[in-house]
Amino acid sequence: MEYAFLLDMSRCIGCEACVVACKTGNELPIGTQYIDLIEHTSGTYPDLQGGFQNHRCYHCIDASCVAVCPTGALFKEDGLTRLNSSACSGCGYCVQSCPYGIPKMENGRATKCDGCASTVAGGELPWCVQTCPAQALKYDQRDLILAEAHERVAAIKGRYPNAQVYGETQAGGLGLILVLPDDPEKLDIPADPPPVPVVTDVWKNVVQPVSMGATALAAIGAGVLGIIARRNHMAELRDIEEKELAGAIAGDSDAEEVQP
Amino acid sequence: MLLSITDERSDMARVKLDITRRQFLMTGLAGTSLAGAAVMGSAQPALASSYPDPAWFTKGEVVSTYNYCDMCPWKCGVIVKSVNGQVIKIDGNPADPKSRGMLCARGQGGVSFMNDPDRLRSPMIRTGERGEGKFKEVTWEEALDYTAEKLLEIKDKYGQESLAIFGHTTGDTWWAEYFAQAWGTPNAAKPSTSICLSPREEASQLTFGIPVGGHEPMDWDEMQCITLIGSHIGEDSRNTVMQDFVSAQSRGAKVIVVDPRFSTAGARADHWLPIKPGTDTALLLAWINVIVTEERYDTAYLDEWANGLEELTAHVAEFTPEWAAPITDLTADQIRETARVMSERLPQAVIMPGRHTTWYGNDTQRMRAVFIINSLLGVYGRHGGMYFNKGVFLEDYPHPPFAVTGTAGGCSAEPGEESAELPLGPTGKARADGVRQGIDGGFLRGATAIQELIDPMITGEPYRIAGLINYGVNLMNSIPMPERTIEALKQLDFVLAIDILPQEHVAWADVVFPDTTYLERYDDLSTIAHKTPFIQLREPAVAPMYDTMPSWQMSRELGMRVGLEAFYKWETIEEYLDTRLRSVGSSIEKMHDDGGVIIQKGKPYLEDFIADDESPFHTPSGKIELASAELEEAGFDAIPVYEPTDEPPAGYYRLLYGRAPAHTFARTQNTPVLADVYPENELWINEDEATALGYSNGDRVWVENEAGTKTGPVLVKATQRIRKDAVYMTHGYGQVAEGLTISNGKGASDTKMMSRYALDPISGGAGLRVNFVRIAEGA
Repeated sequence: MEYAFLLDMSRCIGCEACVVACKTGNELPIGTQYIDLIEHTSGTYPDLQGGFQNHRCYHCIDASCVAVCPTGALFKEDGLTRLNSSACSGCGYCVQSCPYGIPKMENGRATKCDGCASTVAGGELPWCVQTCPAQALKYDQRDLILAEAHERVAAIKGRYPNAQVYGETQAGGLGLILVLPDDPEKLDIPADPPPVPVVTDVWKNVVQPVSMGATALAAIGAGVLGIIARRNHMAELRDIEEKELAGAIAGDSDAEEVQP
Repeated sequence: MLLSITDERSDMARVKLDITRRQFLMTGLAGTSLAGAAVMGSAQPALASSYPDPAWFTKGEVVSTYNYCDMCPWKCGVIVKSVNGQVIKIDGNPADPKSRGMLCARGQGGVSFMNDPDRLRSPMIRTGERGEGKFKEVTWEEALDYTAEKLLEIKDKYGQESLAIFGHTTGDTWWAEYFAQAWGTPNAAKPSTSICLSPREEASQLTFGIPVGGHEPMDWDEMQCITLIGSHIGEDSRNTVMQDFVSAQSRGAKVIVVDPRFSTAGARADHWLPIKPGTDTALLLAWINVIVTEERYDTAYLDEWANGLEELTAHVAEFTPEWAAPITDLTADQIRETARVMSERLPQAVIMPGRHTTWYGNDTQRMRAVFIINSLLGVYGRHGGMYFNKGVFLEDYPHPPFAVTGTAGGCSAEPGEESAELPLGPTGKARADGVRQGIDGGFLRGATAIQELIDPMITGEPYRIAGLINYGVNLMNSIPMPERTIEALKQLDFVLAIDILPQEHVAWADVVFPDTTYLERYDDLSTIAHKTPFIQLREPAVAPMYDTMPSWQMSRELGMRVGLEAFYKWETIEEYLDTRLRSVGSSIEKMHDDGGVIIQKGKPYLEDFIADDESPFHTPSGKIELASAELEEAGFDAIPVYEPTDEPPAGYYRLLYGRAPAHTFARTQNTPVLADVYPENELWINEDEATALGYSNGDRVWVENEAGTKTGPVLVKATQRIRKDAVYMTHGYGQVAEGLTISNGKGASDTKMMSRYALDPISGGAGLRVNFVRIAEGA
């Protein structure tokens, strides 16, 4: 069952209640918050436009953070992007790959909203949803959230002619569906972040080789190292076997030392 | 980096509390628990994402207690959740008419507030000079006995009236109301009146004969047009107000915002009027002009319910939009258009009464103009307009007649009737704040004016005020002219500070009583006058931490020692509450089982009063007074006129201030979770103005007023959201108190820039937007 959040930016009033409810409900340490209210303004006094970005994980369906995570600490579940910190190797690929700039590093590991996984599993609504005084947040099955988002957009079209649903298709579809009163670029939200394959291409062809060379390997868990080491060792053994076999056939006991 | 400390501020800087600790004993009056569970709050996990660790509320039995929030004076009903003896989470109570299950950022920060490691932990008595901050920890017996001795000395030497009692936060009823009235001092005051609501309340009394009340009676659900004069909803993050405002706007209500700053509300308004500060009354008069000359008022309503339309029409004839435009920096079209937007939607078009209305000194008259417009629009008593608040029915715990009737008022107090005669204390003295001196000095009417009690402490006029009990008021960061407050503190014979945190003024006390937070105690019932009047329960989630004592208990223990036993006859607080609740057929247990709230029947609309053959307006005539005969008799304008306010001198800006959504006044800046989200304020200055001065975002500057006092360093916020002749900061920063390890020295203080205020001669309100500042280098 795919779940999603609804975030209605025509209602959000930037009060920070969600930020603090999340911090307290999830017992986040000082210095960590999963939601940022970011003010934006355009124009010159007094001809101004402005509002807030309620900046938080967009729970992309084809999440690039999940695609690049070497340990599987990041994974999709119920339509949302989870993060198991204890499996995080601290490589930082997720930080580099997220089109919305969401994952942060804290004490050597990634941290981000996981859609209140344990809270929902325990039978409560996500903390931000429960507290929002503007009733800008909801959590439900994704198809119901999408339907409500479209209803809300229709209801505000008179006042906001550019009102639109964001997240049905953007970035391959999101687990955070927004009601936007205007075009996303006007609200400092990327209009349509590049699709995931491009991101992973960049990762595979640019980021990974660079970071491999930059001892990123050292940060990867022992299991991965072990696999690689064993693979190399097996290759080494095979080489030695071949050489010895060749030597045995050739009768040459001074086989060349094989470089792994 | 800490502030460097200049000579002018040397007295205010020394608030490091130097405390000689004593051995804690388990005995004594305070409730005791030093058990580990109560001492520190939830442990900080090493990792942020705990998945797949189960949620805290599945790790043991969840114990839920009811409370009314104390993180601001609005008093949302909340549910507090604890597991294994640790308080973890607070959320709104779905049954409560204020929170309706939702809660703002401050309310969510309540557990962090309770767990603030900087909290006061023990009663203390001063050892050094007053102001040095040198104390020794003592037992409650010693602190209470010593305090009682000093109070009785003051009573013997000068009379009971010589004791001033200041109070704020929801425990203040036990001090600024109950103890003050039992003891016999009329000099009990709250900052929530003369530094906040007074102009609004007095304007409402003069116009309608009733107060606005703590819960503004806006009938949001059917409202079609909302006008905000400065009310910065969203930054002022009162829970219910945000809920209702957003819902109304989402439903299609029009929003008009009048504000020199492009506030959160301004940015989502249908019409934002970027008004010049200090000129609101000119705009209001022009709106009245449009409404009466174009006959856009509710004729039938005015015929039935109001006096003075003819006089009003004649009075405003010259106050056209063309007259107001150059004064206000708006266009005549804007003024005319918005008057029409409002009046097209009457009676479901309301100018919000606002809350903090002490701006320029002529504020009661400005609020009169607001209420005149609301009357022309026929809003009071109409669906979608304003309803009539009705008080709660709940009997008091029996007590003897009070020695004096209190006039402290306050936003969390119940509205009372204004008496014709000034109450006198036992030795025949009325309050010392200059009330009833009329137009020649002091002010005409209203609640006790806290800032007007400071001079009597210094000068001894009209009589000596020798003692101060201060419950929870952040003296240096609320009352204007804080240097004068320090002078007063030096002159007093005795100062008792009751507080949760070592705020700046605590260093100036002789005795300190450490208060519990709202989560650690029972308290009196909260009663809310409302469309559906209701009673709220406060029950402890944990026992008092450290050696703190609940407000009610301190009041009782002190009262028993100064001859007021008859006023504190209950054995336990549970008995007190159950006795009161019996009068409404309830008890603590029943109230808890019924969801923590008791809701009563209101009387919100005109038809309810018509049915009772009663007028809802308690003016002498029983009608709305568009022209105020009472003001005229006292020598004031019967209908408001525009009075310009002083302009900033060259090189200076008018200092404006407001709220941050994650904070309350000067109260929460040290609360760990709230400080984490919003650690310091910023100086908003017009971007072009900043560039011309050579500053940009992220620079740190000092702010200096005309008296040469400085505050800072503060971050520059160079923004287009504010005019060039004003600067703005959120209130509550620039605190200088080394005991507040998080907030000490952060940001700049608007209060410290207030070297003057403008006294409203009608309500006693202190107009605070009359100070001018410039940016300065260094300390």
